[in-house]
Amino acid sequence: MKMRRDMVTGIVGLLTCVFFYFMTLQVRQPAKLLEPGPRLLPFVSLFLIGISSIALIIRGYKDRAKEEKPYFPKGGVLKVTKSFLMLVVYAVAMTYLGFVITTPFATAAFIYDLKGNSEVKPVSTAIISVVVTAALYAMFVFAFQIKLPAGVLFGG
Amino acid sequence: MAAYLSALLVCMKPLNLLLIFAMVALGIVFGAIPGLSATLGIALLLPITFGLSTETSFVMLLAIWIGGVSGTFISAVLIGIPGSSSAIATCFDGYPMTQKGQAGKALGIGMTASFIGTVCSVAIATVLSPVIAEAALHLGPWEYFSLCFCAITLIASLSKGNIFKGIMSAGIGLLMGCIGMDPINGATRFTFGNVYLTSGISTVAQMLGMFAMCQIIRDNAKGEAKMPDVDVKNMKGLGIGFKDIIENIKTILFAFASGLWIGFLPGMGSGISNMVAYGYAKGISKDPESFGKGNPAGVWASETANNASLGGALIPMMALGIPGDGITAMLIAGLTIHGLQAGPLFMTEQPDLAMLIFACVMVSAIVTYLIQIVTKRWFPYILKIPYHYLYTVILVISFIGGYGISNTMFNIYVMLALCLLSLFMSVAGLPTSPLVLAFILSSKLERYFRQGISYAHGSYAPFFTRPISLILLTVSVLCVFWPYISDHLKAKKAAKNPAPAAANVDVNDD
Repeated sequence: MKMRRDMVTGIVGLLTCVFFYFMTLQVRQPAKLLEPGPRLLPFVSLFLIGISSIALIIRGYKDRAKEEKPYFPKGGVLKVTKSFLMLVVYAVAMTYLGFVITTPFATAAFIYDLKGNSEVKPVSTAIISVVVTAALYAMFVFAFQIKLPAGVLFGG
Repeated sequence: MAAYLSALLVCMKPLNLLLIFAMVALGIVFGAIPGLSATLGIALLLPITFGLSTETSFVMLLAIWIGGVSGTFISAVLIGIPGSSSAIATCFDGYPMTQKGQAGKALGIGMTASFIGTVCSVAIATVLSPVIAEAALHLGPWEYFSLCFCAITLIASLSKGNIFKGIMSAGIGLLMGCIGMDPINGATRFTFGNVYLTSGISTVAQMLGMFAMCQIIRDNAKGEAKMPDVDVKNMKGLGIGFKDIIENIKTILFAFASGLWIGFLPGMGSGISNMVAYGYAKGISKDPESFGKGNPAGVWASETANNASLGGALIPMMALGIPGDGITAMLIAGLTIHGLQAGPLFMTEQPDLAMLIFACVMVSAIVTYLIQIVTKRWFPYILKIPYHYLYTVILVISFIGGYGISNTMFNIYVMLALCLLSLFMSVAGLPTSPLVLAFILSSKLERYFRQGISYAHGSYAPFFTRPISLILLTVSVLCVFWPYISDHLKAKKAAKNPAPAAANVDVNDD
């Protein structure tokens, strides 16, 4: 039986509740408090997530026979995974190499990833990538006085 | 009055005026492009404001807000896709007007209605907020808790989909708000030994991860980052005259009143007000059959109401420190970044800055109208901006913003984690607005609740015996059942009178 999205959401919600329930028990509760203490809000949150998870599981089970339209079109999951991994790679690369070295490459990669059916030329992409990096660097560092990552390998 | 006039003069300083023009123009672009929004614009701007003065920061944030909310009607009119949920009802008649060759008139109505809605509502907010703030000084933690609780319940119960999804989203927001030190005893929660998490999750990281990053890669995967072609004629001039305003004055007045009131209610906003006003305009029309086929009254109603909500939302934000929706929640975060706390004390202790906020919104509304009048003929070109370049720049700015929060890479990884959470929520159909509001309000909610019990020596009774607190709690309970009543009423109404369908697209629920 293929599970409906509501049911999957409910199960993930319940698992989250179980995990955070045990984490909440580890929160230090001061003695002799007049009020409920620091565990109150986590427990309220878990109650809300838990109760709605159960409701979603029940709804998913009730509607199990109904056809469910996929959220992403064909190939969409692969596309979103690829895009997300690109963001992760950019973050990791920026950690070690800094903003200036990684951003032109990341910009070019994002342009190609997001272009869809539009035509993109390599030379113009390369020029745009360098210009965008330089413009953003100048804008943030010089105009807004915001530091940008220098990269661990370069002492940042 | 003197404070307001001096605030107006601050807005008129050349640099501030220049920033207002630039940010309003950027906001209009963000509002016009479906997928982008004023919320995203503010999220991207917040990190930029770290290094700027409070005055300059707020000039920028408010200008992009006003431009962004006003700009949503452009795509609704030109291509039948609303720029955000606040312009859904604008599609119903705006797009048919374009199809009939009246795009210029529809855009003129959108611009003028937005201007009337914003200017009048902000004028009312400017007068009312100090009065409400004065009264709010007499409220205790019990009332404040109930108000926060009411805001979260309202937004969760009015979420798209079903109420349990709204509640789950609010629960996740509260849980996220628990991360870090608790606001009363300082006990650490869910930090997993990470020192960066002690101060909790940054609001800016949350916004950038959940709105900017997630939205871009999700829309790309769904193939929604493309626009249909725009075919318009007769774009010269304003497109309407004073006579048009007089002819629709009844619709405009009601739409304004309903928009202002709905904006004022915590948790509700322009996404609801435009639909309510549209329904009313249709109800009072002598020719209800023409609605959905290009009746200008539909555009007047929707656009006046959604912009009137802006002033309405400013009142609880300024007077009580309670955000009415996602955007005002971010504006409050903007104040926090500069060490300020919105609320009654802010109004009394920082009257200059409070008045600057009202004055800046007013000036931004006027600038928005001026820019729209001058650039109206080029509106179709906004929708032709190449997405892959625009989105790429937004992604890179998001990374810079994430780094700028604490000058460490940590917040960038937090953003990525929240982007993943937001993707999961999108697929699961969980709305993001309840999460944002619950996250922002979680610390206040907890602090007021625990303080209330402490002050009452361990008793919960004052929450139910103090009249304002009781009323708010009753409203909260009632609104949990509201979706069921509303569904029933809608089904009954639909059986009698089928409404025109909105464009078949996902719109931002912010």
